[in-house]
Amino acid sequence: MTSPARLGGLAEPAGPRLGRARSGRSPRAREARWAWLFLAPTIIGLAVLSAGPILAALGISLTKWDMLTPPQVVGVDNYVALLGDDRFLKALRNTTFYTLVSVPLGLVLALGLATALNQQIRGIAWIRTAYFLPLVTSATAIALVWLWIYSPTGLLNSFLGIFGIAPQRWVADPTLAMPSIIAMSVWQGLPGNVIIFLAGLQGIPAEYYDAASVDGAGRRSRFRKITLPLLTPSIFFTGVLALIGAFQVFDQVYVMANPGKPGEATITLVYFIYEAAFRNFKMGYASAASWIMFLIVAVATILYFRTQNRWVHYQ
Amino acid sequence: MSARVVKSPAARRSASRTWRKLIRAAAAYMALIAGGLAMMIPFLWMLTTSLKTRAEVFSSPPLSFPSGLHWENYSRMWFALPNVTFGTFFQNSIVIASLATLGQVITCSMAAYAFAVFDFRFKRVLFALILATLIIPFQIVLVPNFILYRYLPWPLSESGNWIGTNLPLWVWAFFGGAFGTFLLRQFFLTIPSELADAARVDGANPWQVFLRVYVPLAKPALATLAIFQFMWSWNDLLDPLIYLRDLPTYTTTVGLAFFQGQFVGKWPEMMAGALVSLLPMIILFVIAQKYFVRGITLSGLKG
Repeated sequence: MTSPARLGGLAEPAGPRLGRARSGRSPRAREARWAWLFLAPTIIGLAVLSAGPILAALGISLTKWDMLTPPQVVGVDNYVALLGDDRFLKALRNTTFYTLVSVPLGLVLALGLATALNQQIRGIAWIRTAYFLPLVTSATAIALVWLWIYSPTGLLNSFLGIFGIAPQRWVADPTLAMPSIIAMSVWQGLPGNVIIFLAGLQGIPAEYYDAASVDGAGRRSRFRKITLPLLTPSIFFTGVLALIGAFQVFDQVYVMANPGKPGEATITLVYFIYEAAFRNFKMGYASAASWIMFLIVAVATILYFRTQNRWVHYQ
Repeated sequence: MSARVVKSPAARRSASRTWRKLIRAAAAYMALIAGGLAMMIPFLWMLTTSLKTRAEVFSSPPLSFPSGLHWENYSRMWFALPNVTFGTFFQNSIVIASLATLGQVITCSMAAYAFAVFDFRFKRVLFALILATLIIPFQIVLVPNFILYRYLPWPLSESGNWIGTNLPLWVWAFFGGAFGTFLLRQFFLTIPSELADAARVDGANPWQVFLRVYVPLAKPALATLAIFQFMWSWNDLLDPLIYLRDLPTYTTTVGLAFFQGQFVGKWPEMMAGALVSLLPMIILFVIAQKYFVRGITLSGLKG
């Protein structure tokens, strides 16, 4: 896959310079030169495509800019306006709701499923494949399928009809729309979490269980006293990624809501940023919203890390 | 004889234990298979719907088999748009995903090698900085990067800049990435330094050691990174939505989202489109499941 010719081509211009370094400098300095050479693309990327832009976004957030006329510096006006913007506040509330429900729900279900799949039985690999499949699918195509499942004449309503439950408007009803999107996202996110938990489960030494059985511990108490504590590092780690990922929800919302314009009920922070920047061309306003989102995610992550000492057991 | 009939209490217990074990295993199988089918329902429904007629979709029970294999839904979906077929979207997605994958494999393996084998100033700071970008929501750079690409000239595009071209969707990949660097560094650290020393004694410089020792040994890890990056690029919606302007440049995801607006209520065609867009990833997954699992296990990152 990595064609040597291509890699070689990238290195060529640096050759002579390194030759000089070899004759004049200490081995340590020579090593450093090589290191920086190998790191050059990464460092340029870090400066131009991530660290730089994060700071640039802060600068842009202090301006009013439609990209047609030069930006005007307006100070913190955008931030003040955002805090009084009902659509933004709604997006903030929806995203928080989505995160607070989908993350714990996804973790608990994944934990149960991983325990069930952690068995050495014949054909388990094929069974796991069925469970893992949603992992590789695009949220866009999956949202289309679920839109059909949720449609008035769709699978879910027909299924509930068997039990005499009246058809619901799963996506159009403002109170049901967000829970419906959450259910779909949890389904799609399960395999990723299950795989991490499975790895965690398989890392627990069998002797622990043997010892507990000798002491007369039953299934349930073995799960509570051994499995769960030893899995807390995996749970913690999965939790932080799920938390950050949940704040970024966009694709599902974009497809599931009315094409192109989610109503108030399902608008999320990233959709709000997308709309402000690329539909309404309010670059300053969108940047301010993205900085608020950045700060919320940072604070949530730090708070989450603070809880670590209380419940995560490292072996 | 009596000795055979009258089993000792211990033997009786062990026999009933075997039975219990068997029953438990059967129950476990059934539960796991039932659960697996439940997970697959959306896929099965997508498939059956895509083969039904439109009338059938609304009249027959949801999980029934189609009356016949109505492949015409697929051709109707494929040729639904004027001047552009779904094949164009496919081609665009393949080009973008391949270039992004190539860029990531090259530059992440270089960075990972530097972190794994060299000692230099600011190494820890730099590595921490790269890891930090993993937990930063990337949406914060949406606007600044859009502005950057807007001012980067490109003679071949209508706008004269990168907007409307596929460049913003893959050029970044040639400038490193946190996931790949982290994944490959972990792998490189497990390669015994004696191998590199042997090559060095033979007069190989660090570049040659990288190409001849580390890259060949890291093939499984490189494959893992390649598969993940290909999947991420293939499934991405937000970036193509922002940068691609004309129908002939659309990727499968943007094309699919566009379809949705055109095909309201035409579920068989829409499910056919969704299924076709997922197919390459599903095939890749069935073939290379172990790489997906390894990638997630090693890095903890998901799709």
